[in-house]
Amino acid sequence: MSDVVAVLPEAIVAATAIFVLAFAATLGDERARPWVPWLTLLGLIAALAAPLAYPFTGLAFRGFVLVDQFSAFFRLVFVVLAAFTVVVAPSYLRRERVPEAEFYATVLFSTVGAMTIALSTDLITLFVGIELMSIPVYVLAGLQRRDRYANEAALKYFLLGAFSSAILVYGFAWLFGIAGTTDLAQIATAVGRAGLGSPEVVIALALVTAGLGFKAAVVPFHQWTPDAYDGAPTPSTAFMSVAPKAAAFAAILRVMATALGPAQADWGVVFAVLAAVTMTAGNVVALAQTNVKRMLAYSSIAHTGYILAGVAALDAGTSAGAAVLFYLFAYGVMNLGAFACLMLLDLEGTRGATLEELNGLWSRHPAGALAFTVFLVNLTGIPPTIGFLGKFLMIQPVLDAGLGWLAVAIALNAVLAAFYYLRVVVHMFMYDPDAKGPRVVPARLLSVSLVVVALVTILLGVLPDPIHAFALRAAEPVVIR
Amino acid sequence: MTLLERPVLDHVLTLLVVIPLVGLVPLLFFMRDARAAKQVALVTTFVELVVSLVMLAQFRVGEAGFQMVDSVMWLPSLGIRYEVGVDGISVLLVVLTTLLTFISVLYSSGGAIKTRVGEFMAAFLLLEVGMVGVFVALDLFLFYVFFELMLVPMYLIIGIWGGQRRIYATLKFVLFTLLGSLLMLVAIVAVYLASGETGSRTLSFLDLIARRDRFPADFQFWVFFAFALAFAIKLPMVPFHTWLPDAHVEAPTAGSIILAGILLKAGGYGLIRFALPLFPIGAQAWLPIILLLSVVAIVYGAAVSTVQKDLKKLVAYSSVAHMGFVTLGLFVLNTQGGVGAVLQMINHGIVTGGLFLFVGIQYERTHRRQIADLGGLANQWPLFTTCFAVFVLASLGLPGLNGFVGEFLVLLGTFRYEGLPVSGLVWGPLAAVGVILAAVYLLWMFSRVMYGPVREAYRALPDLSPVEVVSAAPLVALTILLGVFPQAAIRIIEPSVERMLAFATQSALAVK
Repeated sequence: MSDVVAVLPEAIVAATAIFVLAFAATLGDERARPWVPWLTLLGLIAALAAPLAYPFTGLAFRGFVLVDQFSAFFRLVFVVLAAFTVVVAPSYLRRERVPEAEFYATVLFSTVGAMTIALSTDLITLFVGIELMSIPVYVLAGLQRRDRYANEAALKYFLLGAFSSAILVYGFAWLFGIAGTTDLAQIATAVGRAGLGSPEVVIALALVTAGLGFKAAVVPFHQWTPDAYDGAPTPSTAFMSVAPKAAAFAAILRVMATALGPAQADWGVVFAVLAAVTMTAGNVVALAQTNVKRMLAYSSIAHTGYILAGVAALDAGTSAGAAVLFYLFAYGVMNLGAFACLMLLDLEGTRGATLEELNGLWSRHPAGALAFTVFLVNLTGIPPTIGFLGKFLMIQPVLDAGLGWLAVAIALNAVLAAFYYLRVVVHMFMYDPDAKGPRVVPARLLSVSLVVVALVTILLGVLPDPIHAFALRAAEPVVIR
Repeated sequence: MTLLERPVLDHVLTLLVVIPLVGLVPLLFFMRDARAAKQVALVTTFVELVVSLVMLAQFRVGEAGFQMVDSVMWLPSLGIRYEVGVDGISVLLVVLTTLLTFISVLYSSGGAIKTRVGEFMAAFLLLEVGMVGVFVALDLFLFYVFFELMLVPMYLIIGIWGGQRRIYATLKFVLFTLLGSLLMLVAIVAVYLASGETGSRTLSFLDLIARRDRFPADFQFWVFFAFALAFAIKLPMVPFHTWLPDAHVEAPTAGSIILAGILLKAGGYGLIRFALPLFPIGAQAWLPIILLLSVVAIVYGAAVSTVQKDLKKLVAYSSVAHMGFVTLGLFVLNTQGGVGAVLQMINHGIVTGGLFLFVGIQYERTHRRQIADLGGLANQWPLFTTCFAVFVLASLGLPGLNGFVGEFLVLLGTFRYEGLPVSGLVWGPLAAVGVILAAVYLLWMFSRVMYGPVREAYRALPDLSPVEVVSAAPLVALTILLGVFPQAAIRIIEPSVERMLAFATQSALAVK
């Protein structure tokens, strides 16, 4: 029984997904339509509230699952991101005739997988979580069946994703070979015994880094990202660009801090270099984009770099883990919001708006333009926003770990990024609207939720303490000592 | 003793930060109603001005320390405080901010801004929060938040209501500023980490002053560099000044007034408040370069001003020269220089604010800014000419007007300087060349614009309107008042400058 209580939130989300599918199938798509998003939302809220009613901490399922502050933090992140996706998606899904119940159910299944990753103390749980998170996301990318770009995106994402999963499993196999067990804590002991720089650890490290790097879109394992993000239906992109990335970092933190923690001296520098390369490459290529959706795709690669910098600095103590967690939360909300703002315009297929098509959005849709600006200011890292605090908290452990050059790289990259983020603001505010521009979608739920979330990012930028204190507690299990 | 015996207002500084935010709320509802938006903005900035004058009245003259301090824990998990206070250096800058903001809003609502009035006023109120906040913040984190908060509204003001090349100018302005300020952010975090062990870390100015002996020399070298770079770009110092002429030429009149009057001062203020006292050893290391660049800025800015064809560009380049006096005065590290520098900041805010206002007023009538296209305006506009002449003469440093006092004190301090790389006897005369050149380009400009034959096209143009007179009057009055009786300001400024300079020199002497 206690096993069920341990995974109650995950069980609720999974049950909601199945219920939503069944509900739409019995009632018919047309009649179910007004209810489906709200049912999904209800399930997500119930999942978030469940641990309050039935608290549980500790190991469950014979040590395969660990409920701690770390998993609690990620539950919050994933549920918030799924809920945000659900409220912004309906108008787009209806317009583009994407099957709605399937969309919500797929988001929920992926969320269950992501939550499972955060719970895992064992390579097997971890891998099951990763696959359960990934496979629904491939489906999300291709859900708009009649669009050839969506098909291309789904196929590319699936092939490269499967490939990376294979590499990851191979890495896990090496870890199993070293330790003779799949338990992360026992692997740590074995890795510690094998010693720094021992070949088998280095091979396992390289394979695991590549596998998880694919999932998180770390350069040079990022090639699938722009096409997958660009071609997928925009609500899917919004979700894909944040939740799987947060999940990948949950996996990276569990594996790197717990199982491979003793080898930190081996991978710390590698991660620092990967972080610098990732943020720079993402930003430089984003500079050249004129399609905002593609630009945001590259910018999300750059943000992977910022987060990775925190992982590289894990030996600085709790502040590093907390910075990664806080940044994941902030990034999730602001990036999802930015992609969601593209849904304000009615464009054919899965295409995102070009800069010209955003001309004069301020006079055509003031609330949307304002919300978009707030999200872009967040992404740039200008106070008083949650995005700024993410950067501030991130620089701290990076400097503390003695990676001064990486902190400077973050600062210089933020200037580069400011150029292309603010260019969007230029087009929305400083150019006159184009008579031939795309139609603005009258979607009240979308604009209201965008404005509310934008205000929340400012509010949490001024009063970030609850989230940061939570992140500090949640980072305790992933400190490298 | 306070300036005047007045009822004491608690938390007046917090009030000053909050009032413009409160004004934003009704403004959001009147976004599409230009008249109502103007009224809301006027009332808000006027109340802000009055409250800032109450704050000035409460200020105890002659004390060096911070007054009217509000301090509460803001981010307990990081040990960062919301801490505001004023001393003799910042108190006048706060009043200057509220005054110039009110004048800008008043002038703009007189018809200078015709499109998107509601948005313009909202941007101005948000800008005012940032500007007041910068001068009252006593915690580095809070200071940084306000420093960056000034950026987005000014970005929009130049980019939306600016001239032809506004988008290029505004992006350049933002990217230059961000480059400096983000490196400063890294430095702030480094200071935070160096301030103590986990749990006792702080960014509060007074705590950091007490702990600055923990900062090793090479650490100070780099951290001072990052701070000074951010402030040098904002100020701007040569060679980081190239964004300034572009931004000024494209900005609407009110934007230019605030940019020259307040935003540049944030750079000079940051140097004397944070960079110099906190990192004395770092300051010593960079001092020769900064002195050199200051003198270069004075001479180069003045020389370039003499060849400008565009009125706004001329005033913009003259700002580069005038701000050179500020850095020169600060880095000779003696009382005369420091007091002169702070006075120069205030005087430059008043005078250059006035100059940009009058360039804007004449541009609105003639639609010409090229000096060659103008001429003979003196016969048409007696009132305009009188006021404009006051600002021009103050700007070139005529004794009896305020511009003279600051520059004179800075030169006095410079002649007394006896440090590396060469003594003030070399720097002083060089800087004085800038004063002479200022007379050349300003008088030349004045004679070409105001005298000579009247153009037919300008005959029917009216003199100052009542709104414009009201906008200009306080600036003219202050220009004369601070010129005749500078002692009023010096008495407020001097003790605090001495205190900051004591922080900046004591530790450095200990090293020697």
